[in-house]
Amino acid sequence: MKFLILVMLLCYSFAFSSGDTTIHTNNWAVLVCTSRFWFNYRHMANTLSLYRTVKRLGIPDERIILMLADDMACNARNEYPAQVFNNENHKLNLYGDNVEVDYRGYEVTVENFLRVLTGRHENAVPRSKRLLSDEGSHILLYMTGHGGDEFLKFQDAEELQSHDLADAVKQMKEKRRFKELMIMVDTCQAATLFNQLQSPGVLAIGSSLKGENSYSHHLDSDVGVSVVDRFTYYTLAFFERLNIYDNASLNSLFRSYDPKLLMSTAYYRTDLYQPHLAEVPVTNFFGSVMETIHTDSVYKAFSSKTSNNKINSEMPVNQLSEHDELQKANIPNDELKTEKQKCPYTQMRVDLHEKLEKFENVDTVVNLGIAVMVFVVMISSSLL
Amino acid sequence: MASLIRSWIPLLILQSFLVAIAFGSKEAEEFSEALLLKPLPDRKVLAHFHFENRAPPSNSHGRHHHLFPKAISQLVQKFRVKEMELSFTQGRWNHEHWGGFDPLSSMNAKPVGVELWAVFDVPQSQVDTSWKNLTHALSGLFCASINFLESSTSYAAPTWGFGTNSDKLRYGSLPREAVCTENLTPWLKLLPCRDKDGISALMNRPSVYRGFYHSQRLHLSTVESGQEGLGSGIVLEQTLTVVLQPETTSVETNMQPSWSLSSLFGRKVVGSCVLAKSSNVYLQLEGRLGHESKNVDTEIEAHKLWKNADFDLSLKPDRVLRESSSLLFIFDIDKSSDSEPFDLGLTWKLPSKWSCQQAPLQATRFLMGSGNERGAIAILLKATESQEKLPGRVVTDGRCTIKANIFQIFPWYVKVYYHTLQIFVDQQQKTDCEVLKKINVSPSTDKVSSGMLEMMLELPCEVKSAAISIEYDKGFLHIDEYPPDANQGFDIPSALISFPSHHASLDFQEELSKSPLLSSFKEKSLVRSYTEVLLVPLTTPDFSMPYNVITITCTIFALYFGSLLNVLRRRIGEEERFLKSQAGKKTFGLKQLLSRLTAKIRGRPIEPPSSDSPAAQSSFLSSKLIFKIILVAGAAAAWQYFSTDN
Repeated sequence: MKFLILVMLLCYSFAFSSGDTTIHTNNWAVLVCTSRFWFNYRHMANTLSLYRTVKRLGIPDERIILMLADDMACNARNEYPAQVFNNENHKLNLYGDNVEVDYRGYEVTVENFLRVLTGRHENAVPRSKRLLSDEGSHILLYMTGHGGDEFLKFQDAEELQSHDLADAVKQMKEKRRFKELMIMVDTCQAATLFNQLQSPGVLAIGSSLKGENSYSHHLDSDVGVSVVDRFTYYTLAFFERLNIYDNASLNSLFRSYDPKLLMSTAYYRTDLYQPHLAEVPVTNFFGSVMETIHTDSVYKAFSSKTSNNKINSEMPVNQLSEHDELQKANIPNDELKTEKQKCPYTQMRVDLHEKLEKFENVDTVVNLGIAVMVFVVMISSSLL
Repeated sequence: MASLIRSWIPLLILQSFLVAIAFGSKEAEEFSEALLLKPLPDRKVLAHFHFENRAPPSNSHGRHHHLFPKAISQLVQKFRVKEMELSFTQGRWNHEHWGGFDPLSSMNAKPVGVELWAVFDVPQSQVDTSWKNLTHALSGLFCASINFLESSTSYAAPTWGFGTNSDKLRYGSLPREAVCTENLTPWLKLLPCRDKDGISALMNRPSVYRGFYHSQRLHLSTVESGQEGLGSGIVLEQTLTVVLQPETTSVETNMQPSWSLSSLFGRKVVGSCVLAKSSNVYLQLEGRLGHESKNVDTEIEAHKLWKNADFDLSLKPDRVLRESSSLLFIFDIDKSSDSEPFDLGLTWKLPSKWSCQQAPLQATRFLMGSGNERGAIAILLKATESQEKLPGRVVTDGRCTIKANIFQIFPWYVKVYYHTLQIFVDQQQKTDCEVLKKINVSPSTDKVSSGMLEMMLELPCEVKSAAISIEYDKGFLHIDEYPPDANQGFDIPSALISFPSHHASLDFQEELSKSPLLSSFKEKSLVRSYTEVLLVPLTTPDFSMPYNVITITCTIFALYFGSLLNVLRRRIGEEERFLKSQAGKKTFGLKQLLSRLTAKIRGRPIEPPSSDSPAAQSSFLSSKLIFKIILVAGAAAAWQYFSTDN
């Protein structure tokens, strides 16, 4: 009896995990700077630094949605037109020659942000402004700006609540818009923004805990404002050492944050993310490293690798419809045959039912069940 | 089977070649690049990049492009665009010093921000939908918020004031739009050589955006083939106009600064774009040497022209052309190479002065009035020095007149009263029928459509100044409609002043010239100038005010209802009984002592506490409470008053 229950549970867990068996096929990045005004220069520099990093590690421009709330590069106050720096040594122009900004200025609103995540756009919106991810996508979502307890301010005019973010992520999960999602937030009290998340496959990193501020790293006296935030600065310090072929794990990224240097405590929420962090390379999110399969024939290897899963997942549907047709035909002899073709869970349930029917003294079974339950309760209470 | 296929392959290749030749012989896609350099009288240098890409008419289905950007041809096919112009500009064109009556300024002096106009080849009912979709497509293509032009409050349909007469024309502009590298990147990606080779390799982003003025323009027009079964050809013209300040070491202020391409852009041209049919650099010197002899064909004369007492050119021009008032040196950059890059330089030896030809009237626009309620917009047209010399005067009924068209869009929150339109000519108010030839007004509707004003003025030739003023009320926006930086003010887009009877053209009298830049100069272009963008401060709410109001009201309500409930629920009799019982217990309590003391002082016998009438006590209590409430409310009001004052 117990064995049967165990098998049923296993069957359940198998049914749930079967959705996650799609392989990782592509990478996307959504990078958001939510702050307007010149004195928030550092937020744009943060976002552009990440943009440069993910581009360097292999995510192409058409798979990066870059949202910048203000124009800093050609701002009248910028001493260095068309250039943005994240360090006072001015060695690296983050704006470069090939930057492509998808949403800028007044377009960076909570509404547009949620539209990008959930993919609910007007028909006329061009492809370059859409997040066209699928169930095999790994998405990096980076946000920076001014935040507080469970909110992030957009342009000093509206707020993104942690509930909004959680709802959007949930909707994305239901629409199969990602396989794994990494949310990285550099704001004050960033950890609170993740409180409401509940979708599986989501990994979250915040720059500070509740009640903590995230500070800027240093001031550039030529530009006149602070140019980078501490959390992003040390994230970049970690990535600058890497190239596209390095196998550094997420764990090593997380360990590289030193609370003394950050002046805040970096927070990771990993309970929704199943894989072991030490085994996940950072390029799963911050780069686009694809496994290349060499084949002699054109389509063979591809079909053996990916479409097996598809066939498995499509099987029950076909079988069920077949089963329905057979039932309609009312052929009792074939019943056994069709039942054997059912999914293991259904099969098990039917078996259980049959065995229960066969029992002559049902009362003993019920009593036995109650006794087992009492036993389980006793064990659990003693453990607690 | 395999051998059969093998024998077919050369045949197929040959056939495809033949097809290519057949099409190529008729007309092939052509790309040409050019750079025009021009020293300006106010010690600056103008650099005008010009790229033209022509796609010949071909079968509309299965169109294949060699040089022409596919994104643009898809745009034209999908939205059936007949003609379109998109410009990104920062800085304001200085009509006085940089010229106002030449093809360069009339085509490339653009209003600040983004300007887009398009003529569609669709039925009238679908024009607005096409426009909306086009703005979205362009916003994706050029990384700009052009999609804000989709709402009917931001664009207009000019009838005749814009210069192009078509009922399928839509016009819109976004004065606040930032222009930066991200707009130039996709624009350069439309060129066959991008910015890797040829003249476009000069475009160093920091030097371009450090300039006083930069305008990046994309103009496309379709050319009907006239043949059955063939689609239309497309001519794509991309220009970038930059006004730069050369760095100068000379202390003499009247001396023109010397410059070279590498000092202006920090780069040199290394070879031309191999896909370009022609790649030339032109140097235009204006207002000089006009009085000298006309024959410049001989070698000695040409040599005199490029190395003379006034200035030196670092390279020998291939040809020299002459117009009535300017000289044009032509350089072919095909000869340059890695070892010998093309780096044209101009060194002035003597101070020199010249002036640019200006439009007949110079337009400025400003705001009048004060306060947050109402105001007036005024456009002032001032006669320039060159007015008398210009052609294009129209003599009607024995009177010499100058025609001027004014086209202006008003956002709906600037509620213009069209009956207040006043026209002054030389400080004298004129009635409408005297100078106003034609007027077309489409009033704005709140939150639905913007207002538009088109006027045709006919001013006497000897006019010194003309002023037009119109009054408006400032509207209120809903709290959600304010942008995040509402306190900065709201922009009224530039007005367009055009002179329909004046056309600018530069004819360098070269019949054999196939250069698209020179032929575009040769075409007569309408003289037009844009006015300044106006910044209107609107009443903006204190966005934290609702929060303040809510908190203070809640406090007052809580205090009021709390104390009211307290008063209503209080049972005085019970309290007294309780007090009495307390008093009975504590015979030597502090109260007893106090009451005895007061009795002693008053000289009366001790009164038991029960003698107080309950009514009196309750009234006393309530008055005390009311006093408290008033005190708190007063304090709150005072706090609110002082905090808002700060």
